[in-house]
Amino acid sequence: MSSHQTGELHKIGVKWPAREQAPLDLLDLIPIYHRWISEAALPDLLIDVAEYTHVPHGPGVLIIAFEGNYAYDETGGERGVVYYSKQPLAGDLAQRLAAVARKSLLAGQRFEQDAALGGKVGLAGDRLEVFSNDRLAGPNDAVGWALLEPAVTALATRLFGAGKFRVERASPDPRERLTAIVHVDRPETIDTLLSRLA
Amino acid sequence: MMSWSDKLAGRMPETLAREIDQYQQQIELKKQGKVDDKLFQEARLRRGSYGQRYDNGQRHDGIAQRDLPFQRKELRKGPETLWDAPGMQRIKLTFGGFTPEQMEVHADIAEEYSDAIVHITTRQDTQLHYVHIEDTPDLMRRLATVGITSREACGNSVRNVTACPKAGCCGGEVFDVSPYAIACARFLMGHRDAQDFGRKFKVAFSGCPDQGCAYTGFHDLGFVAATRPGPEGTLRRGFAVYVGGGLGPVPYQASLLAEFVPEDEIFPVSQAICRIYGRHGEKKNRGRARIKFLVAAWGIEKFRAEVEAERRKIPQDDAWTSWLDDVPAWSEQPSRPGAALAADAGDAAFRDWRATNVKPQKHNGYVIATVKLPLGDITSWQLRQLADISRKFNNGHCRTTVEQNIVMRWVSEGDLPELYRELQRVGLAASGANTIEDVVSCPGTDTCKLGIASSRGLAATLSEIMKQRAASLDPAVRALRIHTSGCFNSCSQHQIADLGFYGVSRKVDNATVPHFRVVLGARRDHNAREFGQTFGPVPSKRVPEFIDRLTEQFLAERQGDESFPDYIQRIGKKGVKPLLDELGQVPPRSIDRTLYSDWRDPREFNISDIGIGECAGAVVSTTEFDLQAAEQMHYEAQVHLDEGDFRKADDTAYAAMVLAAKGLVYHENQDVPIQPDTIVAEFRVRYHDSGRFHDPKAPTKFAEYLFRRHDDRDRTYSVEAARRVLEETQHFVEAAYSCYARITERPANAATETAPAATENA
Repeated sequence: MSSHQTGELHKIGVKWPAREQAPLDLLDLIPIYHRWISEAALPDLLIDVAEYTHVPHGPGVLIIAFEGNYAYDETGGERGVVYYSKQPLAGDLAQRLAAVARKSLLAGQRFEQDAALGGKVGLAGDRLEVFSNDRLAGPNDAVGWALLEPAVTALATRLFGAGKFRVERASPDPRERLTAIVHVDRPETIDTLLSRLA
Repeated sequence: MMSWSDKLAGRMPETLAREIDQYQQQIELKKQGKVDDKLFQEARLRRGSYGQRYDNGQRHDGIAQRDLPFQRKELRKGPETLWDAPGMQRIKLTFGGFTPEQMEVHADIAEEYSDAIVHITTRQDTQLHYVHIEDTPDLMRRLATVGITSREACGNSVRNVTACPKAGCCGGEVFDVSPYAIACARFLMGHRDAQDFGRKFKVAFSGCPDQGCAYTGFHDLGFVAATRPGPEGTLRRGFAVYVGGGLGPVPYQASLLAEFVPEDEIFPVSQAICRIYGRHGEKKNRGRARIKFLVAAWGIEKFRAEVEAERRKIPQDDAWTSWLDDVPAWSEQPSRPGAALAADAGDAAFRDWRATNVKPQKHNGYVIATVKLPLGDITSWQLRQLADISRKFNNGHCRTTVEQNIVMRWVSEGDLPELYRELQRVGLAASGANTIEDVVSCPGTDTCKLGIASSRGLAATLSEIMKQRAASLDPAVRALRIHTSGCFNSCSQHQIADLGFYGVSRKVDNATVPHFRVVLGARRDHNAREFGQTFGPVPSKRVPEFIDRLTEQFLAERQGDESFPDYIQRIGKKGVKPLLDELGQVPPRSIDRTLYSDWRDPREFNISDIGIGECAGAVVSTTEFDLQAAEQMHYEAQVHLDEGDFRKADDTAYAAMVLAAKGLVYHENQDVPIQPDTIVAEFRVRYHDSGRFHDPKAPTKFAEYLFRRHDDRDRTYSVEAARRVLEETQHFVEAAYSCYARITERPANAATETAPAATENA
């Protein structure tokens, strides 16, 4: 059996809602993403840019990588920095989740620091969403939630400290992806969060 | 841990489940280096798994060509395609039928394996991009549970069977062609006479000869509904049959093969056409391998005579007519009673949407509403919402269109305001369907290996511009249609646009500048009766200006109610040339760099990312496929033996030998029955007794292995016997490969022609 069919949850994503100081034209991201690909600015094997600004509440503008996709996405009507994995990850679920969170934070750091964006984009920091992108290994039901919730809590504890956040399930609609929303008492900087995942 | 295969067991037809299992085995065998690149490429193409841009591991970043550092560079999905590079998955929707359940599965697989976008193609298919090959078996299983297959969505095979999206609801149709399109798709899919083509083969059904919906005029095989007087005042159903149409670099109008073929004859005639094409169509020069070239070379009279002669030879098949009993039962039921629309319904935005997106239906109180999709794209979330909306308003009767939209049939007219509000809520209520705002585009350089220029970038830009101006546009201009293709292969069907464009490049100032060649003035009625004329190229960034000025010129110079195609025909090339000449002047980079990059792609333009097109695939004969399948069965037999089931191992190994023998017999006799006795008897005469099976330089009697096992009717099964027959099977299959290589060997000095690449949608 291929590693793609193991039945364990490897396809996981993290979205950090964004805070825009000034409205961002998503098309401005295209040259920036191309540069990031040339500079290998993010951890994965970066392949190409995909642009979906023409669809409302869509995936926005993405960098397609071998291991997963990075996006500045608009799903749910809210913009945010997203990373989701498409290949098997190492370690247990908590470790996999931490790896995905780390990549999403590194992308967030790029958005905050890239000179071409002029500090327009940052992470709101008061929330993050963690989702299962695999309806077999992590379905949006009680079983899936029982699997995901402890791992998300462990991740949030690592990032924000025990008791400094609240985790809730986003939607009970079994058709939608199983998603945990982590509400954070006090936002932290990306550098701090990354140091806690090191 | 449970797999999708376990979870979905029993929820799809057995044959489909087995096919997908076999495909997954092929993937595993390929990873072990046990399948040839070319064979695997054609095998995956025939399952709709297609290559994508940069999958050769090279990408130009605007400065230089760079290596994409994939780790497993030696592992390939095809001769030029790296295993780890994500690809495209094409999915067939027969006649564009798209149920709510199918939408929901599409939504899920797009999220999990792609990028949460489902793309509708110009042949009523769907496509997912950036999909990893190892995810494709599960993706296919999930589709199979809702009655969808991607089988033969690519490769040299019968592609998606398309039809008018209004079929069954159109007031102008002769009869509803939907059940015929379904039956045809089922009959031809996997049919053994449709496996030996040099290129793809596209079939379309039209309900009438007058309108432009199904466009049988540019299909390899087109059926146009017709009737003739039958007994006792009844009408006999049938079709005018057209053959040999196609777009591509040079479009061909289909020729009339027969004015009326009765419904019970359309499949034997189709089968005869497939045989003639498989036998006489070009195989080596891929650029001349479509059936249109054969029809053109022979002339329709000779082609017709050959088809008629072949038709007489084909053995009777119950499948030709067994489906006819189901035709009268075909019907669609609405979810709500039909009702009139209140006179004062809706606001101005609703009225604009209704004017462009809603068309009458032949049933009182019902209409057809078009959901306009920008560039043919819809998100997973939207698709789930649309599934719910469709369940509520039109009982799930949706179809994709060749204009890359989705139509909702059987909508009660009185429900339109509520439907509009629901569509608005999910971002699907854009007006302007099938107008100048609704630009049709192929993937172009976004994802296609053959793309020269950014057709989607151009299309998105034009859509935005036209949308902003829609209210102020003259109706004669707003009604025009724009199609943009990334190259000459016509995947956007630019030859049937009023304003068509296809990507080319020009060298200027020692650099390459993206251009679009202009194709103007097509007539879409009568199933695309006249293709547009090709004019000169315009720099990509100047296409919007070209459209503005040409349409202004049209409005200023048109005579009375003169249509745009009539105007273009009247002014001819001379009338358009001054504008093209003016806009064609490209200043040096030092003055204007903007023309040296493409729409929505800041890299300095170059064409070095163009790869080798896969849609043609490789020509792999039915015999080669049989031999490959035999090899795979041998592998399965080994697995059975390893698992201790020696009886199953023994029988599977024997079946592998029979299949290999069948492949060789089929090479000479397309009508070989499937019974082992007949296959073995024919193999004996044709290959053993003639001495052709044995290598003349090493005459070992491998054929005896087959005969001995075949004749062993009272076999005593044992581990030892199974092991022996497995060994023998391996030798037999190897010998069959060698035999096939010898009998198809060409002289050593025969030239191998390299064909121009070609694509799927045209």
